[in-house]
Amino acid sequence: MYFFQDPQFGDRMITLMAAFVLVLQIAMVGQRWLITNIRVFAAQSFLLAGIANTIAYFNGAPHLYAAAFLTLALKAVLLPIVLERLVRKIDIGQEIAPLINVPVSLLIAGGLTTVGYLVAQSLHRPEETASPASLGHNTLAVAVSLFLIGFYMMISRRKALMQVLALLSLENGLFLAAISLTYGVPLIVELGILFDLVVAVMVLGILLYRIQETFDSMDVSKLSRLRG
Amino acid sequence: MILLLILAVPLVAGAMSLAVNRRAAMEKINLSAFALVLALAGILVARVLRDGSVSVWSGFLAADSLSALVVLLTAVVALACSVYAIGYFRDDERDHIAANVRKYYALTPLFVFAMLMVAVANNLGVMWVATEATTLTSVFLIAFYGRATSLEAAWKYTMIGGVGLSMALFGTILTYYAARNVPGADTLAGLSWSVLAKNAPQLDNTTMKFAFILILLGYGTKAGIAPMHTWKPDAYSEAPVPAAAMLAAGVLNCALYALIRFHVLAVRSIGPQFGSQLLIFFGLLSIGVAVPFVLVQKSFRRILAYSSIDQGGIMILGLGFGGPFGALGMLLHMTFHSVTKPLLFFCVGNVQQRLKTDLFQQAKGGLIDSMPVAGSILLMAMLAVTGTPPFSMFQSEFTILRAGFTGGHIVPAALCVGFLAAIFAGFLVHFSGLVLGAGPEADRSASGATESAQAEGSVVRVGQTASAQAEGSVVRVEQNESAQETPCPWKTSSLIGLASIVVILAFWLPRPLFELIRNAARIASGEP
Repeated sequence: MYFFQDPQFGDRMITLMAAFVLVLQIAMVGQRWLITNIRVFAAQSFLLAGIANTIAYFNGAPHLYAAAFLTLALKAVLLPIVLERLVRKIDIGQEIAPLINVPVSLLIAGGLTTVGYLVAQSLHRPEETASPASLGHNTLAVAVSLFLIGFYMMISRRKALMQVLALLSLENGLFLAAISLTYGVPLIVELGILFDLVVAVMVLGILLYRIQETFDSMDVSKLSRLRG
Repeated sequence: MILLLILAVPLVAGAMSLAVNRRAAMEKINLSAFALVLALAGILVARVLRDGSVSVWSGFLAADSLSALVVLLTAVVALACSVYAIGYFRDDERDHIAANVRKYYALTPLFVFAMLMVAVANNLGVMWVATEATTLTSVFLIAFYGRATSLEAAWKYTMIGGVGLSMALFGTILTYYAARNVPGADTLAGLSWSVLAKNAPQLDNTTMKFAFILILLGYGTKAGIAPMHTWKPDAYSEAPVPAAAMLAAGVLNCALYALIRFHVLAVRSIGPQFGSQLLIFFGLLSIGVAVPFVLVQKSFRRILAYSSIDQGGIMILGLGFGGPFGALGMLLHMTFHSVTKPLLFFCVGNVQQRLKTDLFQQAKGGLIDSMPVAGSILLMAMLAVTGTPPFSMFQSEFTILRAGFTGGHIVPAALCVGFLAAIFAGFLVHFSGLVLGAGPEADRSASGATESAQAEGSVVRVGQTASAQAEGSVVRVEQNESAQETPCPWKTSSLIGLASIVVILAFWLPRPLFELIRNAARIASGEP
């Protein structure tokens, strides 16, 4: 198993997984079913945990193992289960009604990816990251794209639950940015971020449940009574 | 040690409020906890004035003059709100408004804990976590009444706040990346503000610029700076009054505090020019955006939110003007705003609970007769908050403008004067009508006549007038009934207490407090 010692191999694995993460994010934009979208998010988080693990292994950053494990447990398992239960409990129509149709959305997502690459290139300092498995600016570009596409999903989706998913995938982008720029933020901060994230999903879940009861709908465009 | 105590007290109070069942017990727990926090804040201020800074856990939590100021202001606001809340929720109950007061009394201490944590966390990452926690602990305070509109407000608050804070987190991560050349940066020290501030010249400039833009947008959203201010009027008008006052005077300070911390890093690494332009732009935009909404505002709850957007803009503007007076003016303004704004909220809360409406049009006027104490204090608080001399907010606004004119920012400072005059005019028209205008008895015949009825023919109007007269008399009877009730001592005492602080501050700023603000301003201006 010589390739387990080869930094080149780790490098390629990371790029491959980052590419899949981006593909999944764009798939989320094109996807019309709520449950599928939750699973796509779970898969994306799983890949992120994989990236964190690979970096931890090849670059000897042991605190990333903990971050990877927490991501796996919370974002790939716990949150998707909570969200799916919420969907079944409030029995909402499963189809997402986007404000902008799918082909145009995909084009916009592609455009945002290009922007992500441009931003990443101006931020990246290749001469300074001479570590074994050096993360190319590809990973950072994927992270910035995830962030931007997450933003786009927030404003283009009407279903409240979809906005929650968009917020979560946006946060995935931040996690990827953190590990690709600095091998992750210090563990105690990462713990705090994940704790906030889980509480946020719980809070939003309760709020959603009550919105569904009151408005008999999860369409956020109906939340428009307060003006001026 | 004092830092740990000050954080532990509200946490314990929150847990205890969950455990007890009786309302009176919850009230006592909250009141005594916040009184204790204020006393501890006083001790903290004294120690910071003596030693310069206080820290525990090898600098994980630390308080310098700036932190101590924010802790003190948070404690004052929390105590004032907890006194007012007792009367407010008792009145709610008397009006048979179904409310789960335990939710308020258990969440508020946690909310205050999160705000205090923002102020004393030395680690920028932990500061972010605490800021997010202020959002999460206050969501259900906004959704408190469970109306459709309050759910809407809470949803917008969480989502806009969430997106904003994700930008702030990105900015924090970029700051961590910018610090990669600082020795020991790959550990927790890489996010420690005091370490970064000491080594600021080594921060990477390009990354720091990106980071500062994201931070400004992110924490600016939390502070309700235009154009990310849209959650504010909804949240402020739907939350129960004491919670809204805490949002307006507590969270605003915390968000601006976080912004100042990063501003210092930016000034020391990339120079004052870059950040100052951005701050002036967004500050001026916020003040400008508030103008039309204040002028045409129909609701006296929502107008306070626009006032808060305007005040946040003034503070940012002060920070942007820089120089020896900019930061000083900003922090003075923050201090005075933190005692004046809750007072305005409390008065308006009294009016709303009495009249069961938050619209100027339905409230008519004549408050000075029907509720003399709240009415006159309302007028005074309104004058104070719009920066009328002799009140202290005039002094701080003047300091900020002086910083602008002497710093060569003639156009922004002049525009700011114009906007402030317009906002003052709007407030004066609305609130003087409410307090001094003709009461429901004087224009009885007009009351109840809807706009549509006025647009229609006179035949309709006759019928309307008749029914309106009947309605008017009913309103009058109700008001006479409620006028005989004794005003709630809790509400009145919090009003009079805060009002006297506002008046005293107008003429006399205690020496230690001024000392604290001046030291804090020295930190905020970014001077090494």
